[in-house]
Amino acid sequence: MKLITKFIWIYLTVTLIVLGIGGFLSFHIITDEINNELKWEFLDRIDRVTYLIERGRRFHPKRSIEGDRNLIIERLDSIVEPKTEVSDTLIWHDRLEQNERNVKVSAYRTINDESYFISTYGAMIESDDVKEAVIKILFWILLLQVLGAFGIGYFVSGKLFKPFRETLNKIKTFKLNRKSYLPAEKTGVEEFDNLNLFVEDMTRKAVSDYQNLKEFSENASHELQTPLAIAKGKLELLAETPLNEEQYRYIEALERSVKKLSRLSESLSLLTRIENEEFENSHDVNFSELISEGIKTFSEFIEFNNLTLETKITENVVVNIHPALADILWTNLLQNAIKHNVENGFISIHLSQEALTISNSGNPTDIPTDHFFERFRKADQSSTSIGLGLAIVERIVRQSGLDVSYKVNQSIHTVTVELKNVNNG
Amino acid sequence: MKILIVEDNPDLRENILTYLSRENYICESAEDYEQGFDKIMSHSYDLVLIDIMLPKGNGLQLLQDLISVRPQTGSIIISARNALDDKVKGLEIGADDYLTKPFQLPELLARIKAVHRRNQLEGTDILSLGNFEINTSTRVVSINGETLNLTPKEYDLLLYFASNKNRVLSKQTIAEHLWGDYVDHLENLDFVYQHIKNLRKKMNEAGAGDYIKSVYSVGYKFVIPRETS
Repeated sequence: MKLITKFIWIYLTVTLIVLGIGGFLSFHIITDEINNELKWEFLDRIDRVTYLIERGRRFHPKRSIEGDRNLIIERLDSIVEPKTEVSDTLIWHDRLEQNERNVKVSAYRTINDESYFISTYGAMIESDDVKEAVIKILFWILLLQVLGAFGIGYFVSGKLFKPFRETLNKIKTFKLNRKSYLPAEKTGVEEFDNLNLFVEDMTRKAVSDYQNLKEFSENASHELQTPLAIAKGKLELLAETPLNEEQYRYIEALERSVKKLSRLSESLSLLTRIENEEFENSHDVNFSELISEGIKTFSEFIEFNNLTLETKITENVVVNIHPALADILWTNLLQNAIKHNVENGFISIHLSQEALTISNSGNPTDIPTDHFFERFRKADQSSTSIGLGLAIVERIVRQSGLDVSYKVNQSIHTVTVELKNVNNG
Repeated sequence: MKILIVEDNPDLRENILTYLSRENYICESAEDYEQGFDKIMSHSYDLVLIDIMLPKGNGLQLLQDLISVRPQTGSIIISARNALDDKVKGLEIGADDYLTKPFQLPELLARIKAVHRRNQLEGTDILSLGNFEINTSTRVVSINGETLNLTPKEYDLLLYFASNKNRVLSKQTIAEHLWGDYVDHLENLDFVYQHIKNLRKKMNEAGAGDYIKSVYSVGYKFVIPRETS
């Protein structure tokens, strides 16, 4: 829900409640005011009746004066202290067929040593009319409020929130590796200025942290490779000296470890570089050609491991990806299929416009397949592989806006790379 | 052959120096840009090895200096950085070859020999070893005048052995030379043995004799038997 929609909803809800209470109050205030007015008029009428009686005018009891049916005048037998009572009374209304609240004013008056009871009642306006009027007024107010709310909403989201939306857009398109932070612009609104300043600080810090991290990973790779190169060289020199078989075997094992360390450092540095989005320039890469070439290069290893290869490659499958990453992605997948295979196993490679699927025979595993994409996760912990291959695959796939999944069906492992770029539609 | 090694790391320098000295090359070394500059200005070398990351200057600058003064000198640049930029820049300036750290000393030696062969003024492409010859420009191996029918991999393998004769080459080293990064993730290196077996067989059949000796089954050594004439 957009902020402005939410704002309008809240505004209208509050308005409705306020108008409801207001309507209730208005109804009562208006009725009270009318009744008050009526009371004064009735008192006035009683005074007039008193005046007429003083002048000697006689009234039939319970007969109306000047056709007023609501006037009661009774001559009392005894002398009663003069007093005036104002009360509400419910009178049956024939036309409305309901009890109507009427104002009743009763008075005792002593005129020429005789006491009279004078009472009059009535309603100036029917309560339904008041209700109707109040509701009508409230309806018009509500209508204006709604129009106002949408008008203000339109204005607020259009003009007032413009700097906010601009900042939001800038954050959306912000890329760390462009090395430029987002400078704060003056908007004239304190909150937005604060936001922009905050964004400037954050991006400035992010850019500098990113820079440091990048330098660190570059340096780490360099600093690691140099001692490794030295160790490797020393081992090679050592191998030149007269040695017995046992010593040779130690050297060979050491060489393997050094090689593994150096591969590990290269892979970690590659992962960091992918995460730092250093491989930005994607091009159209022809996967059909890439895969055919790769199969040629690896055919020797496939044959040597007694593996059967089955391929179904659609021509001209083009994917938007960084060429170096495409190469690493494909090589890693094929190497995995060869390495984690079984004696006399098979590899099947299917390439269509939608997906690249590599299936191979292997050992059954009970590790959830999602975990294969984690770093240093190996199905066989004793395996000498470094366990970064699929982690790299996953990073490349994510970086390039593709998708990858791993399935194990008993002893058949299947990796599927969806080739539809999510970003490019 | 006279070689200058420009490398700031003393251990790495020593490794290269020791390895190349055994090949009876005359080796000199420089530890930074200034020393390297002085040496290439005052002496003439057949080949210069340059590390790109150097104190007091840049290896690429040194390469530029070298090529402007003595363009006929062979050059190989070394860098720990796997960066493609450096490689492209170095080769554009005119380096003959490029190696990334960590490299193998037999690999370095093979590259030095290849560069040297290409740069030799006489243009001798023929490598004579025992009773066979390798023509490095036509990639043809002949034994007693008869052409040996080798696959490209077998040819590369033989040339690699020839460049590193009398040295122990481990399976790993050979695999990396022949297949590069592709073997990085493969544990079983027995396919190296397969190729060596085939090469040995072909050479034996052609009457070249058995030059490739297995060393405790972990590595191989290419030994030219003394002429038995």
